[in-house]
Amino acid sequence: MNICQLALAGIFLTSMVTSLRAQAPAKDSEFFTQNIQPLLREYCLKCHSAEKHKGDIDLESFSSVDQVKKNPKLWLTVAEQLGHNEMPPKEKPQPTAAQRAQLLEWATHQGRPAAAKAIDWDHARTYWAFQPPLIQPRPKIKDAHWPKRELDYFIRAAQEKQGLKPGPAAARSTWIRRATFDLIGLPPTLEEIDAFERDTQPDAFARVIDRLLASPHYGERWGRFWLDLARYADDEGVSFLTPSPNAYLYRDWVIQALNRDLPYDQFIRLQLAGDEITEPTNDWFERLGGLGFQGLGPQFRKGAAGEAKAKADELEDRIDTLSRGVLGVTISCARCHDHKFDPIPTRDYYSLAAAYNGAAWSPRLFASPEAIAALKKWEAELAERKARLKQFAASESQRLGSIELTRVDAYLISAWKLQVLKSRGQPADPIAAAQREKLTPHFLNQWIQLLAGGKAPAPLKEWLVIADPSAKSAVVKDGAVEVPVALLAQTEKLKATVAAARLEEEHRKSQPDKKATPASAVIQELLTNPGVPFGAGEKEAVALLSGEPQKQYRQLLQALEQFEKMAPPTPLQSPSVSGGGQPMNVFVRGNPEKLGEPAPPGFLKILSERTATKVETRNQFSRLDLANAIVNPKNPLTARVIVNRVWHYHFGRGIVASLGNFGHLGDRPTHPALLDTLSVRFMESGWSLKWLHREIMLSATYRLGGVMETRNLAADPDNHLLWRMTPRRLDLEAWRDGMLAVAGRLDPRLGGPSLDPKNPGVKQDGLPGYSSMIGPHADDPAQGRRTVYCIISRYAPNPTMGLFDFPEPNVASDRRTVTTIPQQQLFVLNSQFVHTMAKGLAARIEQPATSEEDRLRLAWRLAYGRLPDARETKLALLFLRSAGDGGTGQLTVWEQFCHSLLASNEFTFIN
Amino acid sequence: MSLREALARCGHGVGMLGLAGLLGTESHAGTAASGGPLALKPPHFPAKAKRVIHLWMNGAPSQVDTFDPKPLLAKYAGQRPEATTTLTTENNTGGLMPSPFAFKKHGQSGLEISELFPNVARFADDLCVIRSMQTDVPVHESSNWMMFTGSIQPNRPSYGSWLLYGLGNENDNLPGFIVLGEGLPVNGPSNWSSRFLPGIYQGSQVTLPRVYQPQEVIPHLHNEHLSSANQRRALDFTQQLNQLHKDRWGSENAFNTRMQSLELAFRMQTSAAEAFDVSQESESIRELYGLTGPDSNFVATIPGQSTVDRALFGRNCLLARRLVERGVRVVQIYCGKGQPWDTHSQNTDGHRSLARAVDQPIAALLQDLKQRGLLDETLVLWGGEFGRTPTTQGADGRDHNHYGFSVWLAGGGVKGGMAYGATDQWGFRATENPVHVHDLHATMLHLMGLDHKRLTFRHGGRDYRLTDVQGEVVKGILA
Repeated sequence: MNICQLALAGIFLTSMVTSLRAQAPAKDSEFFTQNIQPLLREYCLKCHSAEKHKGDIDLESFSSVDQVKKNPKLWLTVAEQLGHNEMPPKEKPQPTAAQRAQLLEWATHQGRPAAAKAIDWDHARTYWAFQPPLIQPRPKIKDAHWPKRELDYFIRAAQEKQGLKPGPAAARSTWIRRATFDLIGLPPTLEEIDAFERDTQPDAFARVIDRLLASPHYGERWGRFWLDLARYADDEGVSFLTPSPNAYLYRDWVIQALNRDLPYDQFIRLQLAGDEITEPTNDWFERLGGLGFQGLGPQFRKGAAGEAKAKADELEDRIDTLSRGVLGVTISCARCHDHKFDPIPTRDYYSLAAAYNGAAWSPRLFASPEAIAALKKWEAELAERKARLKQFAASESQRLGSIELTRVDAYLISAWKLQVLKSRGQPADPIAAAQREKLTPHFLNQWIQLLAGGKAPAPLKEWLVIADPSAKSAVVKDGAVEVPVALLAQTEKLKATVAAARLEEEHRKSQPDKKATPASAVIQELLTNPGVPFGAGEKEAVALLSGEPQKQYRQLLQALEQFEKMAPPTPLQSPSVSGGGQPMNVFVRGNPEKLGEPAPPGFLKILSERTATKVETRNQFSRLDLANAIVNPKNPLTARVIVNRVWHYHFGRGIVASLGNFGHLGDRPTHPALLDTLSVRFMESGWSLKWLHREIMLSATYRLGGVMETRNLAADPDNHLLWRMTPRRLDLEAWRDGMLAVAGRLDPRLGGPSLDPKNPGVKQDGLPGYSSMIGPHADDPAQGRRTVYCIISRYAPNPTMGLFDFPEPNVASDRRTVTTIPQQQLFVLNSQFVHTMAKGLAARIEQPATSEEDRLRLAWRLAYGRLPDARETKLALLFLRSAGDGGTGQLTVWEQFCHSLLASNEFTFIN
Repeated sequence: MSLREALARCGHGVGMLGLAGLLGTESHAGTAASGGPLALKPPHFPAKAKRVIHLWMNGAPSQVDTFDPKPLLAKYAGQRPEATTTLTTENNTGGLMPSPFAFKKHGQSGLEISELFPNVARFADDLCVIRSMQTDVPVHESSNWMMFTGSIQPNRPSYGSWLLYGLGNENDNLPGFIVLGEGLPVNGPSNWSSRFLPGIYQGSQVTLPRVYQPQEVIPHLHNEHLSSANQRRALDFTQQLNQLHKDRWGSENAFNTRMQSLELAFRMQTSAAEAFDVSQESESIRELYGLTGPDSNFVATIPGQSTVDRALFGRNCLLARRLVERGVRVVQIYCGKGQPWDTHSQNTDGHRSLARAVDQPIAALLQDLKQRGLLDETLVLWGGEFGRTPTTQGADGRDHNHYGFSVWLAGGGVKGGMAYGATDQWGFRATENPVHVHDLHATMLHLMGLDHKRLTFRHGGRDYRLTDVQGEVVKGILA
């Protein structure tokens, strides 16, 4: 920022900058003494000290940052030497890469204090993508009868300018196959083709589009495009398989949102800040389910690898996904340095990142705060009731134990007698003994066990010394044991001790502060400690109850069971986001350990004036602020970017070919006026994507055939001017789902968990444990669900999906690459999946059609949506007659025939 | 064989349908050499090495027990000099622990190698040991990613993917980047992921048991439902349909490319299976690699870690030779699954056992590559994600050490019989000519004819490199 700009800046800005400048010297000097001087000492001063000053350079003389600033030239030399690895000399100890970078940056800065290049904002705003889109006048064209929609005028005008003539319209069978795959990712049925071909009404095309847009399969097709951008996956993808619980809820949210044509601006607002806005009020899944857009982003390893770095990487993921996906600008490069080409300074990155700073990527219940509070309240009360029940049982057991404590002598003598009898091999029945002596069997049993174990609590030690020799010399007559006098005396003594302890305990309990003095050791070790003879666990205590306490207990239990039945519904829960909005400092060169200037929280400067986002006036920038700035109709990018994406999926190429980069390094629009008009009308139509599909698909341009025309080809080889429809290969999903549909094996159920990850599924070659993690796959012929429901793993990506260009789910994917490699064709030729589909198609044509020719006509219509011509019929018949069945386990001739249809280019491409 | 030849040779009845004439007018069919993303691309400058074999000692071997002799450790055994106590590793370590293994000078160069590798030592004059390696953190996962992708987080493409992207593949019938091992290592497939590079550049993991069918090595290589003749006839029919489709819609590049690709796939069924068929090797070669012979049933067992099967490791070394011989660009061999070299306890026994499993197979690979004249253009790299401490962990273990460790290279344009750089007197921290993993990557790319600063891929609005913004070619090891 230069002085002129400073003078012109508003009062607030001035004061902010002033305060920054006031702080700077202190910071600089601290940085110099703490970070730079130690490095100089370690790596430079051995040669460049006051004493040695090799090369006449004495770095020791710079004892303060002020002295440094007096000699910028020297520091520039230092920077150069460091940068070229000339210093320190090779044979001397070297700084680490990080240390070198730090020193280099600092020295460069000292050498060129005024080098930071200022952005000329006025000029920057003149760039086309930063200008707001405006409705453009309809171009005048000669070929006035050709257009069917507004957009056709723009297309035709550009063609006329180049002297191009559009080709003929596509056949109806071609158009309906194209339109159906485009909107729902499946081929049209025979009935749909027939009805359309017979329909002579002028609105026949419009009704096909409306039918397709109303299909729930529309969301499955277009939702998947969004999921590519949202880098959706079912796991977190670090070093171990870490599933994200219920990730599929986000996938289903996207599909449902598109199916009900949720306005695109609201679609974005809900995904960024559904938790911070108040509508829709009635459906909490609708409001919160989209937050997975952020919550499902990668979570990086923290721990020793560095928590700050991992968090910074997570921030970058969110910003990259958002900026390329929604804004069509690349921001993440500004994490380390000012954008080299677009007007996005590093500070802007951190200003914007504030929206996410401090956010937690944690699961969230999809319910209203009241419902969550009610659930929490119910859970707390349940826990409390359970505790109360337990407490009741515990105190009852102590009460009972305490009563029996008075008869400790009877228990001891009975237990002792039984022990003696047992040791003599005589009948010793504790139940009978308990009955006879009116003892509680539970406590008697505990005494027996205690004596058998030989380890007694302290109060019993003396008694045991007497009891043990007595047991050996005890006299047994007619099944009765005589108790020696010494033992009786000892027992009485113990009884007295216990009685005294009881009295003492009663006194203690009557004291107001009974916790002040603990119970005596005797009480503790006989009654209250866990596992002592006069204690009982909850279950045992309950069994001991009778009379009123028993009744009381049953009532409590019943009430608890009743309460459990009143459980409020447990809402669904899935990874989400909460919090954020904390201001940040710039990380110098992207390094989170090196804080630079504070970045005032807010939107990108180049866009914030248009969107009137005056966030400088506060020090908060919430996710909602961010969302509102993005979908503000004055934001020149958002509508253009989504309109361009939809265009791309319909024509195979965007008006701006670089879908995620409208910046200076991106492509320029082939039809800028068209993009602007369409974007404005899109916003005016309530940001309706379905409106946009209709507008595009009912055009004469979309109706064009795919035939090549030599003159056009020469003038515009890549068909930028849309003189025809360029054939496109079906992507993985449409190809696989299309095959399932043609084979009659499609399972059209909607939504739900990603195909069960616990199911062993397809065995991956030689990787035990791998397959069981991943479950049924795109290549599992038994799985007829649509491909959008296949589990997507970052940890162990499905190799078959990857083979067919499914994008890497760790980063936002702008578009599918289209590769052609033989391994794909190996899958086509040899996989169980395609073989099973061929068998399915063969079975489908076997029944209804009896003659050979009828059958192959049916196969042709199912696979290609049209009838075979004479040459094709001849060729097919020839194959059917020349080929042979291979025998058991081999494909029949008809199955081979169907396999060839599915393997062919015509099935694989849409024209 | 071009598509036209294929159709002419196998497509009986073509003439009857008049397709021959149709083909005669078709100039696009079968002409282009495969122009796809795996097509050969010229390097930036003449390459010394064309292929890489990476012998990956997962878990991190100890440098002071293998390739970095430190006699002073014996004298100061049990002591804790300050230079060792100020370096933080994963765990707390105790005093210095000398290596129980004797080092000896080998070859004409006199390169010192420990007794653990008597067979590898026979090739001392071919080895270039870098004794001053450094990486960022003492954490397995992050350092695996660093060594394979140049980043401590799983967010960058692996170097194998970069090499395929930069150079293409020499063999149309085999994947260009193959990962051999006994099962999943630490990090699993993220070690060989292509991330934002196109998916076809990712590594293909091939994990084979002792006995296997070569035609099942690559997914879908074998057709279970058609004889070869029937399959050819059916494919001819498919291609005839494709021909008529083109006749109808025009000769799109995309149509042609896919037709060629179908033919390539058909041929791959036999050629790829052949590459993985080690039964074609002579008995003497199989014994050399340790598939048969006296020690072939040896299995290294390390407390708390996965085992390493000597015969499987040897078989993978043999497969690596067969694969590079056929033009596969990058072969990585993992030493067992998990991380067997992670000897936090019983370092001595563990190293002895593991070295016994890998020494002879590695020597066999070097010998075999040499005798076939392949070593000159094959870069062999040995090492782990970091090294181990010269100090003890517990009674008899060694901890992770990212401050200094050793790797060695052989063949492919590196100087043999040398040690580059050095660690301090204890073997803890690299002090002389430190080589960061970024520098190693820059050097590997250099040897393969690529300038690491020019091999870029635009993603998310900026150009990415394997070496990020770091990396210097280590000129001192270039032949």
